[in-house]
Amino acid sequence: MEQKTMADMQSKTATTESTNRGPIAMQLRDVAVSFHGRTAVRDCSFDVAKNKVTSLIGPSGSGKTTLLRALNRLHDLTPGAKVSGQILLEGVDTYRGDLTVTELRTRVGMVFQRPNPFPTMSIYDNAVSGLRFNGVKKKALLDEAAESSLRSAALWDSVSTRLKVAASNLSGGEQQRLCIARALALDPEVLLMDEPTSALDPIATLRIEELMTSLKSRVTVIIVTHNMQQAARISDDCAFLLMGEDRAGELIEFDTTEKIFNNPIDPRTLDYTLGRFG
Amino acid sequence: MIELEQPVEAGHEMRAEIRRISNRTRARRVATSRVMVLLCAVALTLAAVPLALLIYQLLKNGVPVLNKAFFTTVPSTPTLIAPNATGGVSNAIVGSIALNIYASVLAIPVGVFVGIYLAETESKLATTLRTIAQTMAGAPSILMGLFAFSFVVHDLKIGFSALAGSFALAVLMLPVIILSSEIAVRNVPATLREAGLALGAKPHKVSMRVVLPSALTGIVTGAILALSRAVGETAPVLLVIGGGFTNTWGLLNPVSALPLSIFENAKSPWPSQRAQVWGVALVLVAFIFLVSLTARIWASRKQQVRN
Repeated sequence: MEQKTMADMQSKTATTESTNRGPIAMQLRDVAVSFHGRTAVRDCSFDVAKNKVTSLIGPSGSGKTTLLRALNRLHDLTPGAKVSGQILLEGVDTYRGDLTVTELRTRVGMVFQRPNPFPTMSIYDNAVSGLRFNGVKKKALLDEAAESSLRSAALWDSVSTRLKVAASNLSGGEQQRLCIARALALDPEVLLMDEPTSALDPIATLRIEELMTSLKSRVTVIIVTHNMQQAARISDDCAFLLMGEDRAGELIEFDTTEKIFNNPIDPRTLDYTLGRFG
Repeated sequence: MIELEQPVEAGHEMRAEIRRISNRTRARRVATSRVMVLLCAVALTLAAVPLALLIYQLLKNGVPVLNKAFFTTVPSTPTLIAPNATGGVSNAIVGSIALNIYASVLAIPVGVFVGIYLAETESKLATTLRTIAQTMAGAPSILMGLFAFSFVVHDLKIGFSALAGSFALAVLMLPVIILSSEIAVRNVPATLREAGLALGAKPHKVSMRVVLPSALTGIVTGAILALSRAVGETAPVLLVIGGGFTNTWGLLNPVSALPLSIFENAKSPWPSQRAQVWGVALVLVAFIFLVSLTARIWASRKQQVRN
């Protein structure tokens, strides 16, 4: 117990330090999520650096995905879900500020665990679906956005001749890149990725990882991953979460990925990154 | 570190014993399996024989009475001089088609929207509506006829008409369409809805552009099954359509229907009219068969495109 309090203090110090490392895309202040009064994740305070990849790691049940879904307010429609604390996007409170939930979601895109392209839509329609949902109808504009987002997702070359084909004809890895293209078409500032490669084979995984690195210049990536090597390979910053004694997840440590993996403050972080549990 | 228990090496005798028991068990299971397969074959035969007999009777008695006049002329009453002058049943064919088109127009849009509502909301109203739909789905169909008679024919003073009949059939179809649409919408994976929301779409837009297209196969299949049930129903139309003897598409005219024609002619004293019943039944069964076949082919095509 003693140790935990100390670690908490230390990780808070680390957070303050990290704010000096360049521009910030999102800030989390004491974020907690509960379902029907039962806390799922709490005590999450850290800054997400702009144009960097931030990974959320931790064992199952530590609340990584729950925390991620709070960032684009996907819990809004879950009955009994409550998000407390503050989540700021470019300094604006995403829950209480002027930002509407639909605008927030166009600025903070999301890629899910399993590729989920819309099965009744073609590749083209999937790529521009976000724009259409938000009222863009002009064909020239949609064509341009489709091509540029598919190019950004490294998918254009393999699908440019069959844009009208149903998206379900693509392989799993291609479907996931289509989902990334779909999110990129709205030109978001932040891209949330919830274990985006867990349903893919190693080669498709590698391609997505390369993609993330190349996307950094235009978008801030926050990724949940179970794969420690992946977090070490691709992320700049890393948040380690762990399930507490009352089965609620909490932030143990946040720092640069380099520090989390080589010289963490909390011994539990070291145990986890070395694969001693989880 | 957890100490794993070392597996005990099984002795030779023990292994022989295990083999003996498992061989005996296997032999017993093979025997049980043979008996079960035999029982299944017997059950299949018992189920298939009445069905095959029915189709045989239908074809044997139905085909001979089918001719051009059967499909193109209206019924006439046989006389002692012309005991075989039954005429055709074109009025019933036209009536059945008209009734079911009007009933579909009335029931499908309402049913589909209520189904979507039930799937997408969890309010007290939704629970109440679902309970009503479930109860109505099991209600005897004559009830719809009685209701249409007292409400449309009597209270609204519309009289015996295609409208009253299609109203009764629509009420019959409605719960089936509501419940099947609800299931179809509920079966759309939640991840698709989330994908739509995560792109900044408003919930109603996600429903219309993502959920509904994905549920369409199930919705259409449900609607067609409801229709194929309605086509064969006698009771709801018996009291309200008036049994008209002309070919008419008019909403307010009295019309006939294939099941009604069977019901009336089966009671006829004229053998020629009773014989004609089989032809009508054959047409009816063929019609239902075609409708449900179309639904199945369509649904499986859609499914293939998706996978």
